Amino acid sequence: MNDSPTVLVHAKGLRKDYGSGEGLVRALDAVDLEVSRGEVVAVMGPSGCGKSTLLHLIGGLDRPSAGELSVAGQRVDGLSERALAFFRRNEIGFVFQAFHLMDELTAQENVELPALLAGYSPSEARARATALLEEVDLADRVRHLPSMLSGGQRQRVAIARALVNEPEIVLADEPTGNLDSASAFQVLELLESLRAKGLTLVIVTHDERIATTADRLISMRDGAFVDETHLTGGSSGHLGAFADWERLS
Amino acid sequence: MQQEVVLAMLAKEPSHGYELRARLARALGPVAEGINEAQMYVTLSRLEKGGFVARMDAPTQRSDRKVYCLTPTGHERVTEWMSDVNWPRPDLAEFHMKLIAAEQGGLADPINLIDAQRRDLLRRLREVGRAVMEEEKDSDAALLLEGIVLRLQADLRWLQACEITWTKRRTSK
Amino acid sequence: MNQQRGTRHHGVNGRALLLGRLTASDLRHHVAQAVLFVVAIAAATTVLSLAFALNGVNSNPYQQTMAATNGPDIVAQSGNDPYTGVTSSADLAALVALDHAKGVVAHSGPYPIVGDTGLAGVEMHSTYIVTSVEVEGREIGVAAVDQPKVTAGTWLRPGGVVIERSFAETANLHLGQTITLNGHPFRVVGVAVTAAFGGFPGNSLIWTTEATARSLATKVDPLSYISNLKLSDASPRAVNSFVNTYGNGLQQSKGGPVEATPPYLNPWTAIAYGDSGFLRTDQAFLFTGTVLLGLLALASVAVLVGGRLAEGTRRVGLLKAVGGTPGLVAATFLVENLFLALVAAVGGLLAGWRAAPLVSKPEADLVGAPGAPSLTLVMVVVALAVALAVALASTLVPAIRAARMSTVSALADAPRLPRRRESLMRLSRKLPVPALFGLRLVARRPRRAVLSAASIAVAVMGLVAALSIHAAIDKKFAHVASSGGLINPEVPRAEQVLTAITISLVILAALTAIFAAWATVLEARRASAVSLALGATPQQVRSGLAMAQVIPAVPGAILGLPLGIGLFKIAGHHLSGLPPVLWLVAAVLGTVFVVAALTSVPAWIGMRRPVAEMLQTEGA
Repeated sequence: MNDSPTVLVHAKGLRKDYGSGEGLVRALDAVDLEVSRGEVVAVMGPSGCGKSTLLHLIGGLDRPSAGELSVAGQRVDGLSERALAFFRRNEIGFVFQAFHLMDELTAQENVELPALLAGYSPSEARARATALLEEVDLADRVRHLPSMLSGGQRQRVAIARALVNEPEIVLADEPTGNLDSASAFQVLELLESLRAKGLTLVIVTHDERIATTADRLISMRDGAFVDETHLTGGSSGHLGAFADWERLS
Repeated sequence: MQQEVVLAMLAKEPSHGYELRARLARALGPVAEGINEAQMYVTLSRLEKGGFVARMDAPTQRSDRKVYCLTPTGHERVTEWMSDVNWPRPDLAEFHMKLIAAEQGGLADPINLIDAQRRDLLRRLREVGRAVMEEEKDSDAALLLEGIVLRLQADLRWLQACEITWTKRRTSK
Repeated sequence: MNQQRGTRHHGVNGRALLLGRLTASDLRHHVAQAVLFVVAIAAATTVLSLAFALNGVNSNPYQQTMAATNGPDIVAQSGNDPYTGVTSSADLAALVALDHAKGVVAHSGPYPIVGDTGLAGVEMHSTYIVTSVEVEGREIGVAAVDQPKVTAGTWLRPGGVVIERSFAETANLHLGQTITLNGHPFRVVGVAVTAAFGGFPGNSLIWTTEATARSLATKVDPLSYISNLKLSDASPRAVNSFVNTYGNGLQQSKGGPVEATPPYLNPWTAIAYGDSGFLRTDQAFLFTGTVLLGLLALASVAVLVGGRLAEGTRRVGLLKAVGGTPGLVAATFLVENLFLALVAAVGGLLAGWRAAPLVSKPEADLVGAPGAPSLTLVMVVVALAVALAVALASTLVPAIRAARMSTVSALADAPRLPRRRESLMRLSRKLPVPALFGLRLVARRPRRAVLSAASIAVAVMGLVAALSIHAAIDKKFAHVASSGGLINPEVPRAEQVLTAITISLVILAALTAIFAAWATVLEARRASAVSLALGATPQQVRSGLAMAQVIPAVPGAILGLPLGIGLFKIAGHHLSGLPPVLWLVAAVLGTVFVVAALTSVPAWIGMRRPVAEMLQTEGA
């Protein structure tokens, strides 16, 4: 019996092509990536650089054209559609830029949906959903429809939904892309609290603020990694430098 | 900046040096770490020399017991400063020149310089971002930190533009 | 002033041109839907036109037979004793007296006839069957009125008999065969047609010599007499007035004895009417079929228009944003659909008119080709009215809704917020995943679900009624055949008409189900993609999409069952009994399975792209 692996994502030579011949577009070009348990990795880059594609591959929403990919100890690149569905259900929580909540379901119905898919009883699923909505500070809005929630609240519901089946890893694709700065801040705080609880997180973002909450920041361009910055390290006491006390008037 | 700040704080009431520092610390939050008392007193004595403040005490008191107050000139200066709309200029020109000089003089690879500066800014942004969350929402300190975050983001974006342009120049050669 | 008027004039033309262009481009982009729209309505109008067109079909052969045989305007049969059936000499005299009645210009007979008085009938044995027949005795020469036209062999010879053609074909009697009548052998020397009698199954007629006919009379089956009369005025009114004056007990003709039972008079109009009975059965089926197809067309078209409105909101917004009035917007919907309805009406009229000859094969008991089916003004008006009514009924409400929509919301293409039903949501949670998806999809578009259920109900209704009719006919004629009887040849043909209508209903319902499924798949793309991303298997989502059609189909099919039985009872009033329960259950279950199978095709097609792609093309 495997004990829980410490390397949750292992990608080697990952490639994704669209189209063929003259119209071939190489979205990802031989990417290697490793993410450890409890790590938070941010991926940044201009649009079209392949960051979303990378996320989709890790999350089993798409298949690589070449390369190896293991997530949560399981080889993912060769799985059937059905097996991928089980994988997504149990190991992955996905958060989208557009939230993708069902408009006609209340917050708690939206959150419990993956649990129902995973075979939990309706009462168990409901209990999990309620607990998670409390955790994201929406306990007083469990019966609200998405149309009655602000953007930030909707994304928090989406995050709760991503967590309902206790996934090994949460993937967020531009989670604050559609939010104003106040709502983005709320989401930021939530992600911070999740990371403090030991959640493994891969975030694709163009918001530097979100990106710098990560342990590691990867920059991508044209389907490849161009830079990797480690952001962990003690406080360097930089803050005082922002008050320019030395300068004379 | 800091001289006008101290003058303006004295407009409320005459204060000791350490009182002033405490008020600054409350308003600036973690950003006030870099300010120590000695610097405060240096500023105060400069202002005294300039005739903007006056000491209000028996001359034999130790430095930390001195109470300062505004002079009429000081009041004028404060009023002027209040209606002054000069916005502190960000100093991009210096870095810009650094890159050009490095390239022209063969001193360093501009792209490496950009990357290094970017990493540094990212780390700073991380810290400031953390600090914001530790402050009470809508407090003075939080508001200031928010401003710093936004500036850093803007600078980071400029650095990204620099990187793209300098890389293009390199590959077109 | 002139300029102002000029621009307004251009305005009208400009708007007409705009409408035309919009309609044309829209049709180009949605060819399949336009075709389905036209097919649905055309099915109803075709069957309608066919029903009408059969009106003129039979009169021609009957007229030709009349001309070829110098057929009678009145067929008079001698009266008889109501208890014994015996025709007294007085009765016969009364019959003969008619020959000189006012208006009669020619006559033939009286001819002896046996087996015609409703009692046992003459017993005929052939190689294949035993049955009872009527035998009319005729001279060997040519009669003045009603000389049956020989179509095979020759006219009467001593020892020979001539068989009426429709009976001959049904009973499989050929030239040269030997038959026995009441035990006496005769040879079949000819086959002929007449306008004086209707064909099988009304009459099983054989002509023999007068002497033979007399010899066949028995105590049980006494002799009767037939006279054929030709009138100076053969119009239906004159003929009816003759019958009223002289026939059936009203007035004695000049010189007839008083105690006689008056002769029974059968005018040509009645005979012709009887001859076209099969057509009337066919017409009855066809008119019923029209109603069913019309209802089905209404449901189908409503589903179509409902699906189109969802796509068309943006177009509406654009029109309004550039200055289109609500009236113009409503007009764009109406013009397009009314145009298609017009096409359907014209197509249906032509198709029905051309198909009429196929339905009205010349009958064995008459000669001559069937007449050209009539294309009357009534037919055209009714077909147009039906087509336009269906189109209008389904388009009016969406058109008004589109006209009233605010420009901003139309441009934003805000999809109609799916309705939410608390009870359905609570129920769906407890169901297995495909049913959960299916029920929620149904709850989003309840109107479409109701229309789907209605279309299935109509189709099953027709199917059940048709099966019941088939089963009843089979049972009836199984019984008849096993006892050596003969089957009305018009019945299989009526059954064919029935089958054709049933097949049309089933095909139209199937097309509607496929379209409804396809529209649902398209609208549910985002929800499907999100469900996949959350971990639903493709199979679960496909099943869910199929369930969205199956859930309304089940009550529809179940409802169709009693409706179909009711229809059978009404339409097939001379038939009794029901098909075996097994058939009915199979029809209902089969319908549901077929719906599930059909709708899994669009579901499968819609789900082929990888999840990531599906998500990216949808908005928030």
